[in-house]
Amino acid sequence: MSSKDDVKKYLPLTEATYFIMLTLTEPLHGYAVMQKVEEISRCAVRVGPGTLYGVFTTLEKEGLIVKVSEQDRRKSYTLTPKGKAVLANQIERLELMSHNGAAVLKRLKADGYEGWVNR
Amino acid sequence: MTEEKKTVKKFRWFWAWQDEAEEAWLGEMSRKGYHLVAAGIPCIYEFKAGEPKDYVYRLDFQSFRKKEREEYLQLFQDAGWEYLGQMSSWQYFRKEAKPGETNEIFTDNESKTGKYKRVLYFLGFFYIILIAVFWGRIWGESPYPWWDGIKIFIAVVLLIMTYAIIRLVMRIRKLQRR
Repeated sequence: MSSKDDVKKYLPLTEATYFIMLTLTEPLHGYAVMQKVEEISRCAVRVGPGTLYGVFTTLEKEGLIVKVSEQDRRKSYTLTPKGKAVLANQIERLELMSHNGAAVLKRLKADGYEGWVNR
Repeated sequence: MTEEKKTVKKFRWFWAWQDEAEEAWLGEMSRKGYHLVAAGIPCIYEFKAGEPKDYVYRLDFQSFRKKEREEYLQLFQDAGWEYLGQMSSWQYFRKEAKPGETNEIFTDNESKTGKYKRVLYFLGFFYIILIAVFWGRIWGESPYPWWDGIKIFIAVVLLIMTYAIIRLVMRIRKLQRR
């Protein structure tokens, strides 16, 4: 199993890497990853092919994802146990950040802040 | 009506730090109705005359083996990019500009930085080799009269490479600061 330090050195993940890893809990090929990232992020995150190729290369080299099949020239990847550990750690970090943030946001709103989203 | 498929050849020098200018120039040519046929021989561009089109051209810098290349090109093709070939290690792509779609092959600063780092390592490799081989010979006595000419040539090449490396490092720094 991967040690704690081993996992922590990959954090924080970039936004693109994070969303790509989220889609790879099941085997997917590159184009499907691009589409799914767009879908789950509600078009907030788009991954270009150059960026995706770079992320795939790095994640594979670091042993966070692995090639599972190849159809025509499309290769499918999925998370390795180490990749899952890294992703889980990242999610926990984000939860902590979001949990702390939510409390502050509540106070800000009580002080009259209306939020930029609704403006 | 004269509907001949005219091709136009252009000669253009392209420095390593001018990739964005290169992309813009190719897009400009397409808007005038001249579309790049293929990238291949350095500095020589062949355009086919046709209807003006709003094409986006993008360059990547990659040198890899055949197997990796297939996977790479498949990704770009699936994402709607047409591959035009490579000029040294610059990979040329284009796509019709459409609203609501990404017209970028690199969608974050990390991957943009990665591209310039690859150019930098490539240049740096040859830079070190050139220096290792020629440094002593530049400053030493000329064994033949024509050696002076070669010395000047190599000195100029090294100067330009130094400039290119500085420009690339500056570009990377700027991207990392964002």
